[in-house]
Amino acid sequence: MKKLLFLFAAFLIAGNVFTQTKINSYTFGAMEARWLGPGTMSGRITAIAGVNADSKTLYVGTAGGGVWKSTNAGASFKPIFDKYCMSIGAIAVDQATPSTVFVGSGESNMRNTVSIGEGLYKSADAGDNWVKVGLDSTEHIAKIIIDPKNPKNIYVAAPGPLWCDSKHRGLYKSTDGGDTWNKIFYINEKTGCADIAVDPADPNTVYATTWEFRRFPYAFNSGGNGSGMWKSMDGGKTWKELKNGLPPKPFGRIALTLAPSAPQNMIAIVEAKETGLYISSDGGETWKSQSATTNVVSRPFYFSCLVIDPKEPKRVYRPGYGFSYSDDGGYSFTDASYDGGWVHSDHHALWINPNYTNQMYLGTDGGVYFSLDRGATWMFVYNLPVGQFYHVAVDNNNPYRMYGGLQDNGSWMAPSAAPGGVNNSSWLDMYGGDGFWVQPDLMDNNIAFAESQGGNMARIDLTTFKSVDITPQAGKDDEKLRWNWNTPIVTGQANRRNLYTAAQYLYKSVDQGRTWQKISPDLTTNDKKKQQQEESGGLSEDNTSAENHCTIFTLAESALDENLIWVGTDDGNLQVVTDGGKSWMNVSKNYEAAGIPAQTWVSSIEPSRYSKNTAYVTFDNHMYGDMNTYLAKTTDGGKTWKRIISDEFTGYAHKIKEDCYNKDLLFLGTERGLFASVDGGETWFRMKNHIPDYSMVRDIQIQPQTSDLLIATHGRGIMVVNDISPMRMISKEVADKDVVLLDSKTMMLTTGKYGGGGSPVSGGWYGGNPDYIEPIEYYLKDRATKDVKLEIYDDKGKLVQSVPGTKRKGVNKVFWNQRMTPPKTATGSTKMDYGGFIAPMVLPGTYTVKLKIGDREYTNKLILKHDKGNTLFSESDREEQYTAALELYHMHEQLAALVDKINAEQKLIKENMDSVKKGSTKKLLKEYNAKLEELRSTLLATKHKSMFADEKKLRENLTEVYAAICGQESRPTNLQSGRIGVLNDDLKKGESTYEKLAAEYSAKVQQTIKEEKAKVAKSVPANNSN
Amino acid sequence: MRNFSQLLMVAAMIFTCNINSHAQTADEIIEKHITAIGGLENWEKVTSVKITGSMNFSGVEIPITITTLQKKGQRVEYTVNGMTGYQLLTTTGGWGYTPFAGQTKPEAVAPEKVKESQDDLDIQGPLIDYKAKGNQVTFLGKDQVDGTECYKLKVVCAGGKEKTMFIDAANYYHIRTVEKSKANGKEEEDISNYGNFRKLPEGIVFAMSVDEGEGPATYKTVEINKPIDETIFKPSETKK
Repeated sequence: MKKLLFLFAAFLIAGNVFTQTKINSYTFGAMEARWLGPGTMSGRITAIAGVNADSKTLYVGTAGGGVWKSTNAGASFKPIFDKYCMSIGAIAVDQATPSTVFVGSGESNMRNTVSIGEGLYKSADAGDNWVKVGLDSTEHIAKIIIDPKNPKNIYVAAPGPLWCDSKHRGLYKSTDGGDTWNKIFYINEKTGCADIAVDPADPNTVYATTWEFRRFPYAFNSGGNGSGMWKSMDGGKTWKELKNGLPPKPFGRIALTLAPSAPQNMIAIVEAKETGLYISSDGGETWKSQSATTNVVSRPFYFSCLVIDPKEPKRVYRPGYGFSYSDDGGYSFTDASYDGGWVHSDHHALWINPNYTNQMYLGTDGGVYFSLDRGATWMFVYNLPVGQFYHVAVDNNNPYRMYGGLQDNGSWMAPSAAPGGVNNSSWLDMYGGDGFWVQPDLMDNNIAFAESQGGNMARIDLTTFKSVDITPQAGKDDEKLRWNWNTPIVTGQANRRNLYTAAQYLYKSVDQGRTWQKISPDLTTNDKKKQQQEESGGLSEDNTSAENHCTIFTLAESALDENLIWVGTDDGNLQVVTDGGKSWMNVSKNYEAAGIPAQTWVSSIEPSRYSKNTAYVTFDNHMYGDMNTYLAKTTDGGKTWKRIISDEFTGYAHKIKEDCYNKDLLFLGTERGLFASVDGGETWFRMKNHIPDYSMVRDIQIQPQTSDLLIATHGRGIMVVNDISPMRMISKEVADKDVVLLDSKTMMLTTGKYGGGGSPVSGGWYGGNPDYIEPIEYYLKDRATKDVKLEIYDDKGKLVQSVPGTKRKGVNKVFWNQRMTPPKTATGSTKMDYGGFIAPMVLPGTYTVKLKIGDREYTNKLILKHDKGNTLFSESDREEQYTAALELYHMHEQLAALVDKINAEQKLIKENMDSVKKGSTKKLLKEYNAKLEELRSTLLATKHKSMFADEKKLRENLTEVYAAICGQESRPTNLQSGRIGVLNDDLKKGESTYEKLAAEYSAKVQQTIKEEKAKVAKSVPANNSN
Repeated sequence: MRNFSQLLMVAAMIFTCNINSHAQTADEIIEKHITAIGGLENWEKVTSVKITGSMNFSGVEIPITITTLQKKGQRVEYTVNGMTGYQLLTTTGGWGYTPFAGQTKPEAVAPEKVKESQDDLDIQGPLIDYKAKGNQVTFLGKDQVDGTECYKLKVVCAGGKEKTMFIDAANYYHIRTVEKSKANGKEEEDISNYGNFRKLPEGIVFAMSVDEGEGPATYKTVEINKPIDETIFKPSETKK
């Protein structure tokens, strides 16, 4: 038995010895991303659902930003789905039990850049927790309807995969509240279910529309024999097709709805050869053609929202290209006004409060709007940071500026920090259209290059935002130029003057796009079968450059050699040139040898900055129905490739980024997450550092001066992880240690970069500022269960300040404010004085940090330096400031000591006033107390309590000048310095007055009290003495 | 050979342990948690707690005293710059007094908030005798608290307050609560992190630091079952 126990122990010990601490995002957990928005320009909204019972709880589903919830009718939102898929197709609330909410992942506005879902989710607690309940492979969910009479019956319309045939399409039903699902209506592998309606009066009557559709990388088709309109009278068991009065088939996508207050009344927009709006007043048995306004017939594959007022069957809303409404059942429409401000086009969702139908919320390609007048005018909701960036770029300013282009929402720039913090007003709209690449000219601080869809690009004066078109034009012998939807505009890494862009040819400019040189032949496959975009769309023509193909999609100049240029195309070519553009080498066969499919879209190229022969490339094959993550590396200039694989990876790959200081630190952005490797790609982990787990990461940049990691998400705006340097420091060896106090960088003494009025932000999205001082960082292998604190000592070993520490696993960041411990200030006032919370900033020098965890101690040096970059504040200014501040600090403490003495004397008097009997003693006590109070009232506020009544005495006067001197980066003014002397005189006077009073009264009072007490004790009979 | 079979047995034991750890129920987790923090018997004896400690704001220590009488009243008192403010909660009312913020007299807490806060008067915590108290607990699986693996329990207290409690899977200490309140039409969420666990003479394990995001509170003394003068739960500007 003993032996067995020994073995057991040995087994456990061996297990521990060989278990290495895994480096993952929690290792760097304190490095939390800031969400910078913008909220002033939001992103595509795909679903809105409200809680009828309270009219103020809203769930908003987005194209790439998950689900956001408001419990105050939209005054504020918070994300509630950040551990799951970011692409949302539909949301439904069980109005009988509003804590039950369903979310269908996978948007079904089937544009070229639509993402994919991973199933249906249910929450039983109003969004706090979610459980996936099935439909994993549907990829896109268009609508969820809960039977109002029996909430256990739930219908889900699944159009199904966009990029391939699939059996996982159709209409699904659950009869047990979502636990199990059956596909109750299915046409074929090309046709899914696009819409459903359930008759609230007779929930066995169910309507559905089916839709045949398909996308290819180079074309889209909406329409086919599978599309149709259907009705079931038995809860989905049997179906009949509805045709009577509808246009001739084939159909495309059909949007269908019924009037909740009169369910026999229905309307539908039927995509057909002649698309139009149809009405029925007999439950769909017969239909009659109504209007065919532009807003009704536009892009039926994209605008599938149609709503009838909950109370009035003739009031019809058509959120589409614009917003229009009808009072005659859809015969005529009126467009919404812009009196409440411009309303973004492209609408996909509408929720009307059934209790007050004037109130409604609209989801557009640019965010959420609300109306209080039945949709006539709209106001924008500025607090949803769900913009869909394609790319992000940075410059070298301080603070640096961020640039990026948004899906359907132009190109924007903002500083990474701003007075009061980065907020909606920090973001500036610099160029129109759909935005993609924006590149600052790092040689000219006033210039950036931006574009709109299909390669329309411009040079932009950043002081005025006036732009000059610089789009290259086809030459005499050129074919028609083929520009990608998301055309690359890239500046050189080795030579910042180089500017590149590409159609099927690569162009280079060294003069900001004034003159271009074509430096390549057609680098694509130039497959003519993939160039029929004018035929794209299916029943409705739809050719907006989104399907342009056989184009160059990505390119990069090596940071080590401007003649080494890589180019990747959307049809699978990967080309490299080492002589600046003369001899191109197509290495696509070489990557295929590493197991990456042929013709795969090359999504990003990262030439290594540590070796000219090394490069990383991501590939995206999702447009052929292949959602795998493809990442490869070459170390021989493209001759051979090694595919980098990890079980952690999810989603097709968009971007690979190598750190600028550590060659082993890599970041990978995919459609479903951000991943990092600290060992050169051997192992990877998902970064969750306040980043949604499955963020759509389109681009990644590292700002070299700040080491900030910037992430362009396609649905959550720009996210910034400030200072990733701990990721360069924590190796596997370090991670195995229990505690490591990380080496501190030399810190600059600063009160921060910005001032300002300090008014709180009134609404909108707020991204804040980076921390203005450097943190002290330490690593804990496990969460601390003991007390953690940091003590800062000066070079003489004197404790400067004690700072509470955090206890989290991984890297912890603790901020010491670079100041002493504040002084003890005088107490006993009727008001609080904030001088006791202010401390002088310490002087430059070498300090010691002691990290104390329980009874263990870890020590490190910390060097603080004067910020010579601040030319308005010299080192001698700092010394004068420190001397003055310290003098006032000591005066505060002297005053506190003086007031303590007075308080003690008054306490003694108060405690004995009632017990003394002798009139003369009482008089003496009163006299002494009055004189003390007279003195005390000159030393600190003693009369007024209200925060609206100023009362300035010595303590308050001291604080006034003390706060001013401590809080600024400046030498004290002459009058501030002079004031110290004046106040010191007042303090001395107070001390002197007290000494005189004490000399006159204190001993006398104490003696008298003592005598009276003795007398009282003597008069008490002995038998009562116990 | 025998050693090898013993080793297999050991491996099987470990494997079984792992399987069991995946199949835990809310009751099993609660039982292990209560054992880890001193046992049901010791906690059931707790009828009052008086805590003294401090909060640190930029180097300034703010003394705090929290006195709670089980299911009767709570007084949270803090002294800033020599001025003492408090928050009171009883079964019938609540008051707040913050003279350093310019308040000149105690201000009543809205009745709905008082009602919703009644669950805070349970100093034993909602998991001790949770069924008898009418609290509902649902085990939501494992989750991470800043990288520490935890059991996640959703607790709906008898008074209606919803708390999500995270129990450290390694030591069964309760390290985080996310509390949701909805009183007066406002939905608010508060997060409290617990640490610095210490065993008290009464046999119970107590978190000596609580961080609610406004500077951590560090407890110096915790007195269990000392007599409490119930008048401290009545509002008075000078009551200490």
